[in-house]
Amino acid sequence: MGQSVLRDLNVRVVGSGEKILVLAHGFGTDQSAWQRILPFFLSDYRIVLYDLVCAGSVNPDFFDFRRYTSLDAHVDDLIHILDALGVNQCAHVGHSVSAMIGILAAIKRPELFTKLILIGASPRFLNDKDYHGGFEYGEIEKLFSAMEANYEAWVNGFAPLAVGADVPAAVQEFSRTLFNMRPDISLFVSRTVFNSDLRGVLGLVKVPCSIIQTAKDVSVPTSVATYLKNHLGGRSTVHMLNVEGHLPHLSAPNLLAQELRRALSR
Amino acid sequence: MPTPVSAARACLTQEAVATLDEAVAVARRRGHAQTTSLHMVSSLLSIPNSSLREACTRTRNNAYSTRLQLKALELSLSVSLDRLPSSRTNKVEEPPVSNSLMAAIKRSQANQRRQPENFSFYQQQYSSCSSVPVVKVELRNLIISILDDPLVSRVLGEAGFRSCDIKIATLRPVNSFHGHHLFGYSSRYKRPQPPLFLCNFNSSDSTSEVSMTSKGFTFPFMGGFPGEENSRRIGEIMVKDKKKNPLLLGVSASDALRSFLETVQKKGEGVLPTRLIELNVICVEAEISRFVNGDCDEELIKLRFEEVEKLVQNSVGSGVVVNFGDLKAMGEESVCVDALRYVVCELGRLLQIHAGKLWLIGAAASYEIYYRFLNRNPSIEKDWDLEILPITSLRFSTEGSFPRSSLMESFVPLGGFFSTPTDMKSPFSSSYLNVVRCHLCNEKCEQEVTALSNGGVTDLSTEKNHSSLPSWMQMTENGALNGVAPLKVKDDGMLLSAKIAGVQRKWDGICKHHHYNQPLPKMNSHQLTFQFPCVPGTQVAEKRKGNASNDSSNHTFASSTECGSKNKVQFLSTDLEQISSLKTHSPLDVLSEAENRKISSKSYEKPSAVEDESAILKPNPLKSSSASINNGHTSPTSTTSVTRGLSLHMLSASTGREPGKPVDQCRVGRTKEFSGSLSTDADTFSGIISNHPTHSSSCFFNSKDPKMLYKALVERVGQQEEAIRMVVETIVQRQTKIAGRRGDLWFNFQGPDRLGKKRLVVALCEILYGSTESLVCVDLSFKEAMSHTDTLFKLQGMNTYDVTIRGKTIIDYLAENLSKKPSVVFLENIDKADPVVQNKLSHAVSTGRFSDLQGREVNVRNSLFVTTTRFMEGGQIFSSSQETTKYSEENILRAKGWPIRMLIGIDLNDDLTSQNATDKGFSSPILMSKRKLIGTDGSTAPCGGLETTKRVHKASNSFLDLNLPAEESEIWDTCSADLDCDSISENSRSWLEDFIQQIDKMVVFKPFDFDGLADKILADMKECLCKVVGTDCLLETEPEVIEQLLAATYLKGCEKVEEWIQHVLKQGFIAARKKFNHNACSVVKLVSYKGISPEETPQILLPARIMTN
Repeated sequence: MGQSVLRDLNVRVVGSGEKILVLAHGFGTDQSAWQRILPFFLSDYRIVLYDLVCAGSVNPDFFDFRRYTSLDAHVDDLIHILDALGVNQCAHVGHSVSAMIGILAAIKRPELFTKLILIGASPRFLNDKDYHGGFEYGEIEKLFSAMEANYEAWVNGFAPLAVGADVPAAVQEFSRTLFNMRPDISLFVSRTVFNSDLRGVLGLVKVPCSIIQTAKDVSVPTSVATYLKNHLGGRSTVHMLNVEGHLPHLSAPNLLAQELRRALSR
Repeated sequence: MPTPVSAARACLTQEAVATLDEAVAVARRRGHAQTTSLHMVSSLLSIPNSSLREACTRTRNNAYSTRLQLKALELSLSVSLDRLPSSRTNKVEEPPVSNSLMAAIKRSQANQRRQPENFSFYQQQYSSCSSVPVVKVELRNLIISILDDPLVSRVLGEAGFRSCDIKIATLRPVNSFHGHHLFGYSSRYKRPQPPLFLCNFNSSDSTSEVSMTSKGFTFPFMGGFPGEENSRRIGEIMVKDKKKNPLLLGVSASDALRSFLETVQKKGEGVLPTRLIELNVICVEAEISRFVNGDCDEELIKLRFEEVEKLVQNSVGSGVVVNFGDLKAMGEESVCVDALRYVVCELGRLLQIHAGKLWLIGAAASYEIYYRFLNRNPSIEKDWDLEILPITSLRFSTEGSFPRSSLMESFVPLGGFFSTPTDMKSPFSSSYLNVVRCHLCNEKCEQEVTALSNGGVTDLSTEKNHSSLPSWMQMTENGALNGVAPLKVKDDGMLLSAKIAGVQRKWDGICKHHHYNQPLPKMNSHQLTFQFPCVPGTQVAEKRKGNASNDSSNHTFASSTECGSKNKVQFLSTDLEQISSLKTHSPLDVLSEAENRKISSKSYEKPSAVEDESAILKPNPLKSSSASINNGHTSPTSTTSVTRGLSLHMLSASTGREPGKPVDQCRVGRTKEFSGSLSTDADTFSGIISNHPTHSSSCFFNSKDPKMLYKALVERVGQQEEAIRMVVETIVQRQTKIAGRRGDLWFNFQGPDRLGKKRLVVALCEILYGSTESLVCVDLSFKEAMSHTDTLFKLQGMNTYDVTIRGKTIIDYLAENLSKKPSVVFLENIDKADPVVQNKLSHAVSTGRFSDLQGREVNVRNSLFVTTTRFMEGGQIFSSSQETTKYSEENILRAKGWPIRMLIGIDLNDDLTSQNATDKGFSSPILMSKRKLIGTDGSTAPCGGLETTKRVHKASNSFLDLNLPAEESEIWDTCSADLDCDSISENSRSWLEDFIQQIDKMVVFKPFDFDGLADKILADMKECLCKVVGTDCLLETEPEVIEQLLAATYLKGCEKVEEWIQHVLKQGFIAARKKFNHNACSVVKLVSYKGISPEETPQILLPARIMTN
């Protein structure tokens, strides 16, 4: 594993600071999504960037359909990267699926993380008895069949919904990275994500968490942020961003950067 | 290990080999030890008809000319090549291929093998010959995989290319821009045998492929892989030395446990480690649960444990797994503590005795359950040697148990969207569906409107062009028409336009009701609608002309034009929404539309040329329309700017009402200031201004007389003469010795009076550049501004950055605006700037160049930068909330426009409890002035405009507070208690000192005298009360009311407030006097009425009437 992981997942370490900050992108993007956030932290942090194995920028051959059946394999990837880089402690900023990965990694290796920042995170996307995740099972199936039927049309429709149609540049950027993913991988990963349920294990997280949530997010209802705050085992805070969209780092980078800075210094 | 060149050659086609050889030659020439991807890129760029070069030219990035970019690419490439270590002494004849390049070749090989056109070919090859087929990599594929190389993409990035763009350009053939060919996914996806995505399976498992193709394309997920994955992980834990008894935690932990036990019983090979293949399972869950709940006695459970022990001793395989089941049973309140302790001890003892042969396993659905259990048995993790395993993935076998949603069909965000085939290419169209009337309704509406404006036709329902509508539609339509038709069409512009507005609204309603979910029809047919706004426009204009020449009554005159213009504005704004939604519109259509609009605006210009008087009335509708045209892309701003335009119109209308009276200089100036901020079309502005009575004041920038400039500025700003003088001096100095210096000018405005600063900048911009078009405003303290919304302060229609401008950082925003033209940049609170902005500003002030985040530089020559701080010179923070001042600027700016209520008490000790007044009647000043214009008390004039303004208010308010959770304020409170605040401000202060050193001129502003003003207002109010009621009456005023009035004065000027006192307050007093016969010692108290939640309160500082109890 070791160095090959660093190469395969395009790991990049930038910045001149002391403390280590991991920026992990979410579903449908790659590390380029952070490029508007990066300048704010370059002087104070050493920033580790990597691509999830499902990202379009990673050679699709590395995506082993047998291995990546649950989030745990992705968690292993993250931990491998940190180990290969010799990271002892870091703050982890995870967006959407990477936030889930961050949670699981912090359960597995609590000593590795000083802080988790969860952007647009959800422990469970499907609704349940006492839980509003935002999606019904049928909707998910519809979504999957839409993806299956015509990936391009789905991307064109989903991107403005997720980002917010008022930011054409960000929509274009997200469409690009989303479309870069091979459709089968994209579908497989989203099935994995929708099939995951972290609710039971949230209490195991002892690392302090900051939950950053936009006021309107197609994938994550605001109640989820409160749920996370109440159930995470460590000290956790919720920060509402008064903007809409699931990808604030694309659509409202300034605001998010400020919020991240605050969250990191706490 | 580098690969010999010959081996690499074997993988490539002829064309690619040639490129490789060239790359090898480059490496040899430079004496490099290996041939890397960089060499490859260099050779790719150098070969004739280079496809990489061609792809580069086709990338969409057009910030620079591609020729320039290619040059930059060559440069950065050669630099990076120079950086590679070279050895002059032992030159290798053929530098071997580096690992990264070889990996790229391998990648492209794999890619190529996957492509379906090659699929069958390689498959045949594969079956015919036993050896692994050698795929000859084509050049195109090679380029694509080389672009993936981080080294290469860095080099490309330095030259301003993005490798992904080039990749797309390479993949996309020159002539076909059809998305489906991109990567070929979507088209290939539908093939009966989709080979593309199954490559990973059929290479390893041929049986699965057969099964999959037989039942179509199913997902490997369904095969229950996550379950296997979980079992594998459980197995991994069990073979560890320590902490080897897994406790599964997660919502689906029980399922995972069950599936693991099944796997164990099936001797799950391949999943479990070999050591664990021969396992026995004993389930003690039921017994434990019964025991701890007191359903059975100790004997039974003892027996069971002995049984377990025996089994362990006799077991032949690798051991026994004891399943204690779900922890829920043991964690409940009702559990007998002693019994539980006994169980824990027994199991712990068994574990110790039979270490290595006995495992415990269990599950808990959530951490809370485990936590409860842990609380009772704090040392359980050690006693049982537990390892907690989070289980996060569900098995798909639980599929059926999910409740099917009844909402599924109506789910708008995803379901509803995906069910419709998205043939529309524009991704934005979806968001406008709600706003735009559909084509059908539009056409009908248009027909009705033209019919109306042609006069005569009253019976619209006789028109037989409704056949295309379903019958139920006709019903509603006729029903709605019946309301309109009986109204006689008089020769009255007001009624006509009111009717038109009514028709518009009706169609809006119909469309919203019935066509809401219909996708947009063919887009091109919208072209027709654009012709119709000019119809009512000209009509009204002509009417007005006639009206004015008759000069029958000023009232109807004003109101008719007003309605007409409003109508037009309304039309325009709806049209604009359509325009912005029709991104795919052919340019021709848009052009013709623009022409139409020009015609309609011309129709307005005509009568004004005839008459002097209407010249005052005219500019506003035009300007507001032009403003809305330019802002029309974001619908919220366009609607608000329209209302702004309306109110302006009203304002000037009221001044124009009394033709004999000389126009108040100051007021006109103010009107102009606001309207100037709205107008973004310089041409129309100047064109109109030539007719304007006070036009001379706006032409100062030609005459460079500093005195005139000073005068004009003072006139507009109204205060801060000293500061203005300094600014003017600096500008004049700069103008006289401009030769040999940079043209940019930097100011720093210090001290309080935020509004004064802003006014000065606006005035400067208008005078120096002719309009506020080139004014760019950024408040760098926006982060804090979000916590308290001083909405009153915002000047609408300005080119202002705020955080809700999405997808752009401040730097992007500034660079974009600066690159367009020289402008006035207004940066408020630079002390709050983040480090990135600080760096860029320092760079800009020292070099005269502003660079954006991508490193592109913009020349800031001829731009005027105005920065503001609340710091005074000594670095000490100016605080206007000293003990001496009663009303601070911060509070005034934060003042809310509450409705004002009048409470009347008889005695001083009277308890003035506020009653629940159901009176909702506070209305906007717009309404008020209208009422004054029409002269009758609001009984007529359903002009449609009323609804519009209200709607806008609602819309803007709900827009601000969209979906905010209830505890938002709490969150902000925690935020404002900042820990990092100090350290940041420490840094920024030193930066600020440096920055101010380099700035051209520092200007100190004086605080605004709120206290004096407050006294004056109070005195005015008392005087008014005395006049109405008599001297005996006492007046008490809440501080909030005074603050509100002060804010109004600050924003709108003294006259406005005086007027308000003279009219509204007086009316209130009079009404109160009528109701209550005042005794000698009655007390009148003015309070702000906070019965309405702030979201619903319209932000109006001077309410149009006073509520009484």
